[in-house]
Order: sequence, then structure tokens, then C-alpha cells
Amino acid sequence: MSATKGLKLADILTTIVISIVFGIVYKLWGPFYYFVKPFGFHLDQLIYGMWFIAASVAFLIIRKPGVALLAEIAASSGEFIMGSEWGLEVLLYGVVQGLCAEAVFATFRYKRFDLFVVSLAAISSTIGSLIMDFYKGYIEALAPWNLALFLIARFVGAIVISGVFASSLVKALEVTGVTQMVRPASKEDYDALDR
Amino acid sequence: MRWDICYRETWLHRTNPSLKLLVMLVLFIGVLFVHNPNILMNFSIALILLFIIYTGYPMKYLLLLFLPFLLIFISTASSMMLFGQGKTTWFQWGLVHITKESFLRGMHLGFRALTFALLGLLFSLTTRPVYLFYSLMQQLKLKPKYAYSFLAGVRLIPIMLEEFQTVQNALKVRGVTANSGIFEKIKRYAIPLLSQSIRRAQRIAVAMEAKRFSSGAARTFYYEIGFSKYDFVFLLLISVMAAVAYYVGISFPYIPVEDVR
Repeated sequence: MSATKGLKLADILTTIVISIVFGIVYKLWGPFYYFVKPFGFHLDQLIYGMWFIAASVAFLIIRKPGVALLAEIAASSGEFIMGSEWGLEVLLYGVVQGLCAEAVFATFRYKRFDLFVVSLAAISSTIGSLIMDFYKGYIEALAPWNLALFLIARFVGAIVISGVFASSLVKALEVTGVTQMVRPASKEDYDALDR
Repeated sequence: MRWDICYRETWLHRTNPSLKLLVMLVLFIGVLFVHNPNILMNFSIALILLFIIYTGYPMKYLLLLFLPFLLIFISTASSMMLFGQGKTTWFQWGLVHITKESFLRGMHLGFRALTFALLGLLFSLTTRPVYLFYSLMQQLKLKPKYAYSFLAGVRLIPIMLEEFQTVQNALKVRGVTANSGIFEKIKRYAIPLLSQSIRRAQRIAVAMEAKRFSSGAARTFYYEIGFSKYDFVFLLLISVMAAVAYYVGISFPYIPVEDVR
């Protein structure tokens, strides 16, 4: 339908604007994360998954290749520009998490947009963040029971927030009708014309 | 990147943004491979000095910015201190097990978090987003359609914050009480903010396409950003800082530990 390959300016701009909304959330999430932390035993890890949500939501809305990666990079640079507590770290984490989510969507050839795929993307992003933590935070040196708690909390949190919550958020957005403006025409749309 | 606070423009503001970003990224990755707490402590002290002297912000404001770092230092360091593995026990109480190794590792992680935060703040306090994206287009060949989209997006942040307050007021007027779950609450704000943002993005995109912002042809720039003598000074200073931190850390250690792993 469109002559140019890849993302068009409208897609890029929409992705970036959505991501900046999440960039603000990411920024506000930082103090919240540190507020939960002192309660101990890795409660903070349960809410870590919020930092993967931009990729899922943007992909579910726009449904094109490259959107998940761009969204995660844009959201993390938005967070960085607003002066994140973690500084440059968020940019690198953003790239890695975005790549991991994008890889999952690519595996399904950008054809599936259901809860299952989004949850897989959340798990994949979690693995990406853990790889970074492995280099940065010596997490392997935590006591085994403590490390197990840490991992379980982060995976569960990621699936709940960037999987289940992200897809319910997009479902609610679909009702408002804005998603019709940005999505490429699907097979059902053409079928509806034939009817 | 805080426009509302007056600051003195220092030479750090005049260095090339792309170069600054790349140097910061190299330092970031370099710090990941430093396992000697002495070197890391020296380096973070050098960064603190750079932060205080050359960002050009009033001292009061810098101290205010520094406050959350202490919290991060403590929270990053504490979980490794309390639950890390080690051989020489200092204190044990239930699940809490503080050893010499885990304590030092925790301190090291604290300083590492501090270094990362300082690198980020040094960059964001001395770089204007507009110059950054123009520089990325000119020096690193970022595609204009991405760069201008980012710039347009950054400009929308104040509008979004305003909308956020409108939603907040609307909810208050209608007497929506806050006793619902956190997800319900986020949704209540996210749906109007996202849907308005998408509509606005579509309108801006149409306007930008009409003005050929998306075209791939060679284009000229309103801001021409190049290199100057300040870039040389910046590179030199950073190299000297790293070299001195390394030399002092090896020759005059504060802590008799060379590797915290």
C-alpha cells in the first residue's frame, strides 16, 4: 500500500510520542521503586516490569516492525533527558530491553498481537535486563535463596505489568478508536469491504 | 536540560554533544570492568569535582540534585551488603549475613551507581536537547525523520504535563475517589493522555510530511554543529582523570582489596 519501506514519519512520531508518555511514567517510577525497596526481600522487583511496557504497548498499537525497539529507546531517552536517577544506564538498558522484545515479535513475523506474545516479549526483556544486571550488579553473588526470590519477583512482575496490563491498556484504547488511525489495514478490514 | 533554572554557560556546554555522549558511553562501559574499589572511588570523586565546578549551576541546586543519589547509594549498597555471599563473617542475624566481602562489594556497587548517575547528570545538565539532535544528525548521521520526531516529541512534554493536570482536576471535580487499585488508577490517566497524544502525533506528522521533513534528500540545518578547542580540552581532562584515578588507586589504596568479585 505504501511505497516506502520501513516506518513512515507518522509511525515514528506516534511511537515516539507514546513512548514519551511512558518516559514520564518511567521517570516517576524511579522514586517509587526506591520507596518500595526498603521494605526488603525484593518487593521492588515486582514493579520492575513497568520499565518494559513501552515496547509492548507501542507494538500493540502500531503493529509494525521496529516499533518495539524504537519505543523502548525513545522512552528510555525521554527518561534520561528528564534527569533519571540512573543516568546513562537507562539508555543502554532501554536498547537491550527493546532489542529483546523486538526479537520476540519478529519471531512471530509481526503477525500475532495477543497476550501470549506480549508476555513472551516481557519475559525476553526481563532476560535482557538480567544480562545487564549480571555485568553491573554482581547479582550472581547474592545468596541463592535471595537470588531466586529476586528472579521470580522480576519475571512475575514483568508478565503482570508489561504483559497483562499492557494488553488490557491497549484494549481500552481500542474502544476510544484512536488505534484505527495508526494501524495498517488488516485482512478483516478488506473482508469487511467485500461484505 | 532544565530550562527554568538559570545557569552559567561553561565550556562543558560548548563541547560537541555527540562526542560528549560517546565519551560518556565509553566511560560507562569502562566502569563496568573496574573491580577495584580504590580506582572507582577516585574516579567518582573526580566526577563530583567536575560536577560541582563545571556544570555552571548554583551550588544550592546541585546539592538538591545530589540528594537522591545518596538514597540510591544506600539502597544499591545495602541489599548486597545484607544478603551477599562471603567468607569472613562480621554480623549474622537470621537471614541477614554481613561479611567483609559482601560489605566491600556493596560499597563498590554503591560507588558504581553514583558514577553512573554523575555521568548522566553531567551530560543532561550541560546539553540542550535541540543541539544534541542536530549534532546527532550532522555527526552521527541519524536520519532526520527520527531526529525531528524526537524533537517534536520533547516539545510535547509540557503539553502532556498540562493535560495530566487537567485529567487530575476533572477527576477531582467528578468526585472520583482514590480507593481503587494502582492499575485502575494508572489506566484512568493513561487512556486520555495516550489517546490525545496519538491524535496530536498524527496531526503533527501530517504537517511535518507536508513540509518535507520526511524526505531523504540532502538537507541543510539551522544549527550547524561542529568541533572546537573545548572538545579537545574535554577529551584531555577525561583521560587525565581516568589515568590519575587508576594510578592513585593502584599506588595509594585506601582499602587493601583489589577485586571485589
